[in-house]
Amino acid sequence: MGKSSFFDLDTIALHSGYVPDEAHGCRAAPIYQTTSYVFDNVDEAAALFNIEKGGHIYSRMTNPTVAILEQRLAALEGGTGAICTASGMSALFVTFMTLCSAGDHIVSASQIYGSTATLLTHTLKRFNIDCTFVSINDESALSSAIQKNTKLVFCESIGNPGLEVSDLPKISRVAHSHNLPLVVDATFATPSLCRPLEFGVDVVVHSATKWIGGHGVAIGGAVIDGGEFDWGASDLHPTMTEPYEPFHGINFWEEFGPSALTMRIRAESMRDFGPAMSPHSAFLLLQGVETLSLRMKQHVQNAIKLSKWLLEQPCVSWVNHPDLPENPTHQIAKRLFPKGAGSMLCFGVKGGRKGGAAFIDALKLSSNLANVGDSRTLVLHPASTTHSRLDDAAMKAAGSSSDLIRVSVGIESITDIINDFKAGLKAAEKASS
Amino acid sequence: MNIVVNAHNTFVATGGCTFDSKKPTVVFIHGSGLDHRSWALQSRWFAFHGFSVFAPDLPGHSLSEGNPIKSIEGMGQWLVKALKVAGCESIHLVGHSQGFLVALEAASSLGVKLKTLTAVASALSIPVNDSLVETAKKSPEDGADMLLKWGFGSHSRSGISAVPGMQPIGIGRQIMSSNPLAVDLVACTRYINGIECAKNIQIPSNVILATEDKNTPYRFGMELADILNAETTSINNAGHMLPIEAPKKTLDAIKSFILKNSE
Repeated sequence: MGKSSFFDLDTIALHSGYVPDEAHGCRAAPIYQTTSYVFDNVDEAAALFNIEKGGHIYSRMTNPTVAILEQRLAALEGGTGAICTASGMSALFVTFMTLCSAGDHIVSASQIYGSTATLLTHTLKRFNIDCTFVSINDESALSSAIQKNTKLVFCESIGNPGLEVSDLPKISRVAHSHNLPLVVDATFATPSLCRPLEFGVDVVVHSATKWIGGHGVAIGGAVIDGGEFDWGASDLHPTMTEPYEPFHGINFWEEFGPSALTMRIRAESMRDFGPAMSPHSAFLLLQGVETLSLRMKQHVQNAIKLSKWLLEQPCVSWVNHPDLPENPTHQIAKRLFPKGAGSMLCFGVKGGRKGGAAFIDALKLSSNLANVGDSRTLVLHPASTTHSRLDDAAMKAAGSSSDLIRVSVGIESITDIINDFKAGLKAAEKASS
Repeated sequence: MNIVVNAHNTFVATGGCTFDSKKPTVVFIHGSGLDHRSWALQSRWFAFHGFSVFAPDLPGHSLSEGNPIKSIEGMGQWLVKALKVAGCESIHLVGHSQGFLVALEAASSLGVKLKTLTAVASALSIPVNDSLVETAKKSPEDGADMLLKWGFGSHSRSGISAVPGMQPIGIGRQIMSSNPLAVDLVACTRYINGIECAKNIQIPSNVILATEDKNTPYRFGMELADILNAETTSINNAGHMLPIEAPKKTLDAIKSFILKNSE
């Protein structure tokens, strides 16, 4: 049972947020493919615009199909509400832009997704929002990095690409001791494997494109408000606790309490920046959510079996997965991810860049592409693609290496995945000999 | 706004507008363990349509300081004092569950200032199951879970929200877990003046009930309506947490009644 539902997770995934509609009795959640909604009368419209009543106005802010996904994800994570966005990056963006203004500061884990690092390093800097990167499990480094103008602490539950697990209870304690919320990108784990709100996290962000959707057919993101953070405990969060002029000076914290963040993102960021999720994407992602726990079970089982098999291969120099003792954060993973720490793994193939490229090109079943979290096995050789312009030193600094193969392990038969990898490793060996 | 009542800071939500004691004031009183936020989608409408709104957090609840009051009678006296501090001249009392018991108690002391009385998911008395009280004493979180499990109707239990993207169970749990739920529940259980107070009510009354209410079952609400000779509204697919579960229908029922009795 979650904090915001009386059902178990598997039931939430199938039912929360929707009951068959009275008009037609549709069992599956319908796609409300509409831009806008008819108002009963002028007064009704005015009341909706002024948050005097709840309801739909325009699909940039809310849409019934998207709301089903939002309510389901909020229930899965145990939060008070959720906002779905056009992508995982826009989910991060609206979160940062809601909590920060020009002159503010963020403390982030250094081991994070490249695009998020770029957002924090370069893009937000143009808006005078600075970021300090730290080794997130280093408590003293984290404390030292927090400044008077820091507004939030950010990390990924499982870091990309290094697969380091963040010690969420420890990090949240540090953040809370400074009256700061901890925002966590939990894309690699999904609520099926770890519910960060149970470990002191305040806001959970997902790229729903990945395992939540699971089928590689729709881009989307989500922000889930844990609802427990006391925005009023300090004067650090004026966007939540001070009057907001566009809505007649509304004070989101006083007015909405546990759903203040969700309401503020909806009222401001979704309205002004407009990164809305399409109803059709929400429908496709809902199909993924329904089988999330079944798929994650298979993803994790396959990842562990493949990791162990790779460890035994002579032309593999190293393997990294949080469930392997070799991973420096293995003990944290055991504590926070008892069902398994996801299905991303990395390994080094002998032969460096040449070997890595040969491995990828020899694969027939696995797909060479820049995505993760599909139900199919996906592989990428960063040295030949995303990091091809970097030399070995620069690659190391970025948490990668020329021999690194990134694998998002799918839910195919493990025998077939291993057979595919056998062919790849044979090609790598040949190329490097 | 913040006012001082009995030497303690008291938070009073005003629906997003500046409080003006000269305007007719709609007073919203929250239920056990809750706070002003349960009225978020009723209070703002009144504040922006010619009324003042006075929605306090009872002492020791959410944003209000002070110790929680241990009896409904004491809460009623406190409310009368708070309204006096605010200088309210013309009052419409609206109470949810326990909040309506408080309104009943306050009513006799407000005299001609009191114009109407509205009960939302309430009854003449609200005896609380012993195991719920004991659970709430030991663990506010477990008590909140137990209360909300009974409190929400079938739609909300399925994760349906009147406000897109929200999870009312999660919101209710957060608020109740951090408030003195057990004190409120004991106060409800001990309260026996409801019938006598209701018999003395001579002003227009309104009773809004949920057909799936398990905490103050529908038939008890109808008994209250009979004694008050009140207007009644029944709302389907909702339970005891009416202001949160069915905010629009609840607002419509409060609104039409108060507007009619404000002419």
